[in-house]
Amino acid sequence: MHNIVSAGESAILIYFGDKIDASLPKKIGNFANQLKNTLSDVVIDVIPSYTSLHVSYDLNKISFQAFFNKVEGLLNQQESNDLILESKITHIPVYYGVEVGLDLERLLAEKNLDLNTFIELHSSQEYLIYAIGFSPVFAFLGEVDERIQAPRLATPRIKIPAGSVGIADSQTAIYPTDSSGGWNIVGRTLLDLSLNNPDNLDKFKTGDRVQFYSITRDEYLAHGGKL
Amino acid sequence: MSFKVIKSSFLSTVQDYGRLTHGEHGMSQSGVMDEHAYAWGNHLLNNHFNKAAVEITFGGLQLEAQVDTFIAVTGADLDFRINDQAAQMWHGLQIHKGDVLSWGNPKSGVRAYLAVKGGFDASVLFGSRSINLREHIGAKLTQGDELPCRSFDTATYRFISPKYVPNYNQDITLRLLPTYQFNEFSINQRDLFFNQDYTITNANDRTGCRLSGAPIAIKKERMISEGISYGSVEIATDGLPIILLKDAPSIGGYPKIGTVFSLDLAKLAQRQPNTKLRFELMSMHEAQKERKKFNDFFEISF
Repeated sequence: MHNIVSAGESAILIYFGDKIDASLPKKIGNFANQLKNTLSDVVIDVIPSYTSLHVSYDLNKISFQAFFNKVEGLLNQQESNDLILESKITHIPVYYGVEVGLDLERLLAEKNLDLNTFIELHSSQEYLIYAIGFSPVFAFLGEVDERIQAPRLATPRIKIPAGSVGIADSQTAIYPTDSSGGWNIVGRTLLDLSLNNPDNLDKFKTGDRVQFYSITRDEYLAHGGKL
Repeated sequence: MSFKVIKSSFLSTVQDYGRLTHGEHGMSQSGVMDEHAYAWGNHLLNNHFNKAAVEITFGGLQLEAQVDTFIAVTGADLDFRINDQAAQMWHGLQIHKGDVLSWGNPKSGVRAYLAVKGGFDASVLFGSRSINLREHIGAKLTQGDELPCRSFDTATYRFISPKYVPNYNQDITLRLLPTYQFNEFSINQRDLFFNQDYTITNANDRTGCRLSGAPIAIKKERMISEGISYGSVEIATDGLPIILLKDAPSIGGYPKIGTVFSLDLAKLAQRQPNTKLRFELMSMHEAQKERKKFNDFFEISF
């Protein structure tokens, strides 16, 4: 099932479903690759998200209608031979401590949980990368266990330090650089996810997986962590 | 060989056509806000369309040439001077070592472009020379910075017909393609959107332009985030439009009523707050035809 709409004079948006579904990111990622390979002369960029794929194309070379038809043809073809690629898993060390987890104390009280249970709930599962966006290397991960879900802050913070790990409803994410934002901050990683290391651009891909693991305060400090 | 920054301004950055192939990595498109003025700057100097220029917002910049070369200044009238003498815009000019280029207060428009023969040789970051402050990619110009470029003794110019020099003081109508969730807005909502004068607010930067006006009642406040095109018009929770521009995030979760035609966004980039603005519908065929003509004229290709 898919639906294509126009997204501008040189872009379309392909919907692969109308609700968040763990089977979609890999499917969308695969189709994005197929599109880039098959129509490399006219496709400029792809932006995969939860249920959709944004595709910009070169209007110098192909009209909206002709591009639409080509994409639709490929989608129909793909539905008959859905190939599944390997999905990569990245492990991320996190210090879950109240000095860096700016909202941790409040969440523990609200959820009536002790710290160890909270850490267990956040770090025991493999999260699926649903989308990359908001800023470079910012991966939207889901789904967070219901017992530790929390809505975004009513007033976003002006500055959240790089490496902060946050929760917003059923999603969790790491802020790659210092930025503003309204997610509930529960810990921090020392991993540099900024573009100072250009390889980080390929760190996360839609459809891949991420798992957090807990490090102690001492380990965090020993590796240069700031409180 | 370079231009040296003697005095920095509110916001001057190096920009080129943009970072077009990194949406997949969550990066903004970035690039010049006024593609029309920028394209003319490079065209006048016989430059390739994607050569880096300086985008000067609201003036206040002073540069000293440490090189003999040729420049063209286009876009907003920010009281451009060479050695404190009023200098010609929209025209190729010869510059000598020691010349001081300055931009004062805006007389008309918002953003001026300084193009140099051969382009500014700033670092290429992720496939583009465009600075994006929101993404921490590069920095704005500050005192003492050097803008490297090559030297030239001779150059051939192109000329601009006066009919192509825009007037930035007029109210504008932005042509909108019916895209994204256009069909999910009711006829009444669309009527309200197309039949009112909006006003450009102060919340207006490289990321987006917020408009004030009569709010549209929306039933769906947020939706699943999806990829954003340059010029997408979000209707925020308060029912008012936000036009997403070059530094906007690559994905977003507000419903969008349509996408503004790119060359009309060039006009928007030169409008100051409080300017009146209207929307009217444009067809896909018309938009592609007009944009293709522009691309052909300026030899823009990917």
